[in-house]
Amino acid sequence: MNVNPVVYGVLFVFLAPVFGGLLAGMDRIISARMQSRVGPPLLQPFYDLGKLLQKNARQVNPIAEPLLLGHVGFMAATGAMLLGGTDLVFTAFVLALAALFLVLAAGSVNSPYSHAGAERELIVLLASEPFFILMLAAICKVSGASTFGGVLASPVWVAWQLPGMLLAFSFVATIKLRKSPFDISTSHHAHQELVSGLTSDMSGRLLAYVEMAHWYESAILAAFVVLFFNWAWPLGLGVFAVAYLLEILVDNSTSRAKWQLVLRSSWAVTLLLSGGNVLPLFLLK
Amino acid sequence: MFLVAFPLAAGALLLAIKNGRLRNVVVVAAAVVVASASVATAVTFGNGEAVFFGLPFDLPASLTLGRLLLVAELAIGAFVIVVSIQNRRILAPLLVGGQIAISLYLEISGKLPEFDLSRLFWFDKLSMIMVLIIGIIGTLICVHSLGYMRDYHRSNPLIKGRRTVFFALLFIFLSAMFGLVTCNYLPAMLVFWEITTLCSFLLIGYTRTKETIGYAFDALNMNMLGGLGFSLAILLLVNGNQTLDLAELTAHAAPAVLMPALALLCLAGLTKSAQMPFSSWLLGAMYAPSPTSALLHSSTMVKAGVFLLLRLSPAIAGSNLGTLVAFTGMLTFLFVSLVAVTEQNTKKVLAYSTIGSLGLIVGCAGLGSPELIWVGMMIIIFHAIAKGLLFLVVGTIENRLYSKDMENFDTLLSRLPKVSALALTGIAGMFIAPFGIVVAKWAAIRAFLEIPGWQGAALLVIMAFGSSLTIFYWGKLLIKVLSMKCVDDAELAIEKRVSRFEWLAEGTLAAGVVAVAASLGVISDKVVGPQALATFAGTSRAFLNIEPAMLVSMIVAVLFLPVLAVWASRQRNWCDEADFYAAGRTTSPDRTMGAALGQTRSVTLRNYYLEGVVNGALVFRAGTVICGAILVALIAVGMVGR
Repeated sequence: MNVNPVVYGVLFVFLAPVFGGLLAGMDRIISARMQSRVGPPLLQPFYDLGKLLQKNARQVNPIAEPLLLGHVGFMAATGAMLLGGTDLVFTAFVLALAALFLVLAAGSVNSPYSHAGAERELIVLLASEPFFILMLAAICKVSGASTFGGVLASPVWVAWQLPGMLLAFSFVATIKLRKSPFDISTSHHAHQELVSGLTSDMSGRLLAYVEMAHWYESAILAAFVVLFFNWAWPLGLGVFAVAYLLEILVDNSTSRAKWQLVLRSSWAVTLLLSGGNVLPLFLLK
Repeated sequence: MFLVAFPLAAGALLLAIKNGRLRNVVVVAAAVVVASASVATAVTFGNGEAVFFGLPFDLPASLTLGRLLLVAELAIGAFVIVVSIQNRRILAPLLVGGQIAISLYLEISGKLPEFDLSRLFWFDKLSMIMVLIIGIIGTLICVHSLGYMRDYHRSNPLIKGRRTVFFALLFIFLSAMFGLVTCNYLPAMLVFWEITTLCSFLLIGYTRTKETIGYAFDALNMNMLGGLGFSLAILLLVNGNQTLDLAELTAHAAPAVLMPALALLCLAGLTKSAQMPFSSWLLGAMYAPSPTSALLHSSTMVKAGVFLLLRLSPAIAGSNLGTLVAFTGMLTFLFVSLVAVTEQNTKKVLAYSTIGSLGLIVGCAGLGSPELIWVGMMIIIFHAIAKGLLFLVVGTIENRLYSKDMENFDTLLSRLPKVSALALTGIAGMFIAPFGIVVAKWAAIRAFLEIPGWQGAALLVIMAFGSSLTIFYWGKLLIKVLSMKCVDDAELAIEKRVSRFEWLAEGTLAAGVVAVAASLGVISDKVVGPQALATFAGTSRAFLNIEPAMLVSMIVAVLFLPVLAVWASRQRNWCDEADFYAAGRTTSPDRTMGAALGQTRSVTLRNYYLEGVVNGALVFRAGTVICGAILVALIAVGMVGR
C-alpha cells in the first residue's frame, strides 16, 4: 500500500472540483430548505459552471483573466502540494499567494464595487493568514511530522492536542469561505451595499474560474480538518460536514459584519485560542 | 585590498571632475572594474575555507596600524565637529568626542595590544556574499544614479546640484563597505564603520534643506551612538586583556567576561540596522535621493549591522543576551509591518519593509543555530537584490509621476508598462510566495518549532502575524501597479524619457532576481549551507530540502506577473468595448463615468489603510518604547555578564 504521495496530489487536482461542486450543491439545497424553498438539483452548480464557460465573457481589461487563471492554478497547486507531500507550513504561504491572485484580478478592473471588494478580500486574507500559519505549524509540532502523509501516519491524535486550534478553525473557516457574517468582500445577492463585490465586473468564463477556485478552496479546508482527525480520516470528513452544516445555518441567520469587526475578532480568536493552545505545547516539551 | 583602494581612488578622481559627460564615462568604467574585481575576489578566495591575510605591503616603521587608524578617526571626528558647529548641533560632537577620547587614551597609554597583521582581513563565504552584493549591486546603483540625478535636478530646479560630491561619496562609501565586511581587526572595522555613517549623513543631507539636515543629524546621532558603543566595547576588551581579533572573539560561545563588550557591539549592530528603538533614522533617510536609499539604506550599509550580528552570533547564541537581541529584531519586524499597512508613501513602505527584513535577520542572529544563520544569509541575498531594484524603480517612477504616493501609482501598468514589469519583478522577489524571503520565513518557522519554552511559541506567533501583514501592504501596492485603464500616446511617451543608465541597472537587477530564484538550490548547497555549518564549528546538519515542485513554483511565481504585465500592456483592442459597473452609470475604459447633467467625471479608487483599527503613529511609539526597554535590559544583562 505504498502509494507515492504525488499520486494523491494529482488526484486532488481532478477530484477536488467534484467535491467542492457537490458541497456547493448541498449548500444550496439546505439553504433553500431553511428558507422554506425546494432549491435547485444537487448538480446545479455543475450546470451553472458549464453555462458560464459557454457564455461570452465581457472583456474588462486584458489582465483580469490571466490573473484569475493564476488564482485557480495556484489554488489547485496548493491542494496538490498539500496532499502531494510538500511541507505543510510551506503550503500556508502558497495558499495565501493563490488567494492574492483573486484580489489582484478584482483590483485591476475599474469598477468601484469590484475595487472595494478586492480591498476587503485583502482584509480577509490578513484576518485568516496568521491562523493558517499557526495551525499548520502547530500540527507539525504535535505530530512530529511535516507532510500530510506523515501527519496521518503519526500515532498522536492531533485534535486532542489542539482543541483550541480546532475551535479557532471553525471561526476562521467562516471568514475564508466568505460566509455571512464575514462575507465582506463578495456576495451572491445583489442587494448588498457592495452589489457582488469582487465579482462585480466578472462574467462568463471569468466567473467560472472564481467558482472553480472556490471549490478547490473548500476541498483544501476539508483536508485541513482531516489533519486534525489524523487517526481516522473519514471522521475528519464527517466533522467537516457537520461544521459546514453549522456554517450554512450561521450564513442564513446573520447579517454582514463590518470589516473592522472581522479583522479584530479573527485576530483576537487567533491570538487567544490558537496562541493559547500553542503556548502549553512549547512549555511542556 | 584592491577593492578598498580602487573605489577610494575613483571617488577622489570624481571629486575633481565637473564635466557631466566625462563623469558618466568615469563612473561606468569604475563600476565595471569594481564589479569585475569583486567577482574575481569571490572566485579566488570564496571557494574553500575561510582565509586570513594582511596588507600586501609593509607599513613603514614609524607608521603603525594603530596610528594610521587614529589619524583616520581624528579626521572623521574633526569633520563631524566642524559640521555640527556650522549647524549648531551638540549631540554629535559629544558622541564623536567620546570615541576620540577612547582612541587617544588607548594609543597614548600604549595599552593597545600588538595585532598580528597577517590576520588583518578575514574572508569567508559570508564576506564573499557581502563583497558580491557591494561589488555588483552597489556599482549598478552608481550607474543608475547617473540617469536618476540628471532627472532629479530637472524636476527639482530649486535644489543646488552637487553631483560631483554625490558620486565621489558613493565610491568612497563602496570602499569603506568593502573594508568593513572583510576586516578582522575590530579598531580597523570601527573606522570603516564610521566612514559609512559619515557617507550616510552627507547623502541624506544632500539637498541641504532644513528638513533634510535635521534627518541627517538624526541618522548621525543614532549611528554615532552605535559607534560609541563599538569604541567602548574595544576599550573593555583591551582593559580585560581580551582579543581584538573578530574571528577569535566569535569562535565559541562567549564566557561571562566577554559579555559586556559583546552587548555593546550588539548595540552598534542594532543602531546600524535601524532596529527599534533606532528605526526613526532610516525613515528620515528616505528623504535622500532614491539611489542613496537603494545603496545605503537597503542593499548595503544597513546590512553592515546585521553582518556584525551574524558574525557575533556564535558568541551570543544561547545566552540571555542573544535571546534579547533576537526579540528586539522579531518585535521590530512585527511592529514595523503593522505600521507599514497604514503608510501611503511608497518609499516609506519600502523602508518599513527593509527594517522588518533586517529584524528577521537580527532575530536569526540572536538565536543562532546553523538553520537560522542559513535563513539570515538567504534574506541578506534576496533582500539586497530585490529591494535595491525596488528602490531604483520607485526612483524612476518618482521622476516620471512627480510623486512617491502609492495612490498616485494607480494604473501604472498602462502608463509605464516596462517600469511596471521591473517593479513587479522586485515585488515578486520580495514576497511573492514561494520565493526567497518566503522560503526563509518558512525555514525560520521550522527552526522556531524546535525552540523550547515560551520563547518558541512567542516567536511563532510574531512570525505568523508579521508575515501576514507583509502580504497586506505588498498586496495594496500590487493592486495599484496592476490596475489598468486605456491611455493615449501622449501618456505613453512619458516612459520614453527614462535614461539608458536606469534601464541598464534596473534590467540587470531584475535579471538577477530571476537568476537567484533559479539557482536557490545551488546557493544553498555551495555557499550559504557550508558557511552556516562553519559558523558553528562541529555541527553537521542537512538544510531544508528544496523540492523540485517548490523550485518550479518559485520560478513560475517570479516570472508570472512581469511576463503577464508586459503582454497585457501591449493589448489595445479592449479599449473599444470595455466598460465597468458603476451602479448603472455609463462608463468608459479611460476610467471615467457619466455624472449628472451630462458631465463626465473620472473615477478615483483608493486603498484601505486600516484607519480606526491600526494607528500607525501609536504602534510606532509603542514599538519604540517596548524595544527600548528590551535594549536597556540587553545592556544590563551584558554588563552583569549573564
